[in-house]
Amino acid sequence: MNEELLHNLADLSKQVWGYIYPNEIEVHWSIMIVLYPYLTGLVAGAFILASLVKVFRVKEVQPAYRLAMLTALSFLLIAPLPLLLHLGHPERNFEILLTPNPSSAMAMFGFVYLWYLMVVLLLEIWFDFRRDLIVWGRAASWPLSWFYRAASLFSNDISDAAVRFDKKAVQVITVIGIPSAFLLHGYVGFIFGSIKANPWWSSVLIPIVFLFSAIVSGISLVLLLYMVITPLRGKSLNMACIDKIASFLFYAVIVDFSLEALDFIHRLYESEESIKILSHMVTGKLFVSLFVMQVLLGMVLPLGMIVLVKTVSCSEDLRKLLYFTSAILIQMGIFATRWNVVIGGQLFSKSFLGLTTYKMEVLGLEGLLVALVVLALPLVVLAILIKLMPPWHDEDEPGPAAAGETPATPAELPAPTASAPAPAPDVA
Amino acid sequence: MKSLLFRPVPEQITRLSLAFALLASGVFLVRAHAIPQTWLDREYHVKSTLEREANRPRRFAGAQACTECHEDQVKEKAEGNHRTLACETCHGAAGKHVEDPTETKLFAPRLRDYCVLCHAYDPSRPTGFPQINPALHNPLKPCIECHKPHAPVPPETPKECAACHGEIERTKAVSSHAALACTACHDAPDAHKVTPRLVRPTKPQNREFCGKCHGPKSEEKKAPRVDLAAHGERYLCWQCHYPHLPEGK
Repeated sequence: MNEELLHNLADLSKQVWGYIYPNEIEVHWSIMIVLYPYLTGLVAGAFILASLVKVFRVKEVQPAYRLAMLTALSFLLIAPLPLLLHLGHPERNFEILLTPNPSSAMAMFGFVYLWYLMVVLLLEIWFDFRRDLIVWGRAASWPLSWFYRAASLFSNDISDAAVRFDKKAVQVITVIGIPSAFLLHGYVGFIFGSIKANPWWSSVLIPIVFLFSAIVSGISLVLLLYMVITPLRGKSLNMACIDKIASFLFYAVIVDFSLEALDFIHRLYESEESIKILSHMVTGKLFVSLFVMQVLLGMVLPLGMIVLVKTVSCSEDLRKLLYFTSAILIQMGIFATRWNVVIGGQLFSKSFLGLTTYKMEVLGLEGLLVALVVLALPLVVLAILIKLMPPWHDEDEPGPAAAGETPATPAELPAPTASAPAPAPDVA
Repeated sequence: MKSLLFRPVPEQITRLSLAFALLASGVFLVRAHAIPQTWLDREYHVKSTLEREANRPRRFAGAQACTECHEDQVKEKAEGNHRTLACETCHGAAGKHVEDPTETKLFAPRLRDYCVLCHAYDPSRPTGFPQINPALHNPLKPCIECHKPHAPVPPETPKECAACHGEIERTKAVSSHAALACTACHDAPDAHKVTPRLVRPTKPQNREFCGKCHGPKSEEKKAPRVDLAAHGERYLCWQCHYPHLPEGK
């Protein structure tokens, strides 16, 4: 053993409590692996919200449908990035697709991801935007016109029959998409839940808990984006739409909260040999991120706010404020959930006799700054997508003039737009 | 059925099929021409991996290599308490040193911070394993001044049991047995202090031993009374009651 290694070991041993195996001192799955389930969850959640419109015909959510789809796409495009940054050698990532290893659950991510990207999201967005892309392509000048033409795969049929076919296709794909979205995030939960050696992860409930927390995070993200982007466009918010989204958010949070509580009670009652070290960890190193951020600020408080809106008649502005605050809190709470799962699972020794500490880098490939960039990137992609393919149906939102008037009730809202013509000007 | 079959295929389907066909043929082309055979054939892949690993330069020399030149130290270590440790655990990889002993010298830990990696007090280490508190145990003094690293023994025989059994001592100190000396229950021969694993102290082997204080006829006023004939049947008392921290005070 050389002296440098010795000094490093002596330094590291200070961050250890109790007994821990040498290879457990350093936390190997860093913040990048926290970001991976967080981003993937947002994708699945945003898609589930979008599917409410197409499959369950929740007309109120129509104004946010296309935004939810583009949000899902932009987050899905960035979702593998934290994995690539963590693993290094991004040029090798195609190897898992070209030389598949069916016995490795982790290697299957490429296929789950590709299925969701190519067969669900891209296809649904393509069918939904195809007519618009053709119309925009005809109106735009070079090079944008080429982008639109290529994006529509040089399609040029915008007859009523073709548009009807598009709508039908969107419906069919959404029906396939719901189990696929469940598969995508259920898969991420499965990766953790199937690790037998780690009692913090190994639970059959984990995929389900992941799925519902994904739905919660995706719905709250679309709510947040819709509430930020709409005023930026100079339009007023469609209150029926955000009331409905908040309603779904409320139910999703309740289910998620119950499932997590069930998982917790189940572990306590089972009291396996790991329970002592886990309770040390939960009441010590994870106290703030678990009890304060995840449960109190990320679930109980937003739940209380939405209950307040539902029980007491609030003014429109107060409702907006409460929805907005709860959506932000929920995002923070779900991030804390991912943190607690990923980092928590590596803090305790498999000897069940000690704990280590996770020290996040600030700079470096797996540091805080890169994490912030990765978190911001989907928003950049979304901004570009919105710029290129505006997802708005103008008839969905009241204009600024109408905003000052009495709030729209669902009955006063525009007719359902699921079958309404696409927004682009018809230059055919 | 006929109308369904002969209906013209929608343009969308044609274009999507074309795009997917292009993508799929791209994948097949890459798989057929750009990927080395060793990646595709599992057996071949494993074999080439083994070859690659076997061809890596060897860093460690192995325990046998040390014997050839350092016979005395190896012999001394083989009889001492460090006999289960490999030489390279403390001295580092010796591959280069074996090739050219004059050119590459091995590292020998001489400061305190190396030994405490194993010997600093840690409640989870097995009882009886020699442990010290580095802040209190001769601070600033290198360990090897008093302990021979190849055959470490305490420079003088420990007087107190707590020198090695600190955890038990601390547990007992807050229990209702705090006032009892270790030797009240254990008979520890002097040889145990020198060769702790070869000569072990005794443990009470019958129920009557505990009954001296806890039996119905005991004169100990504060000790809980138990009817030995009716309680515990064939078990020894310490099989159910941990004597270093017995229930109740």
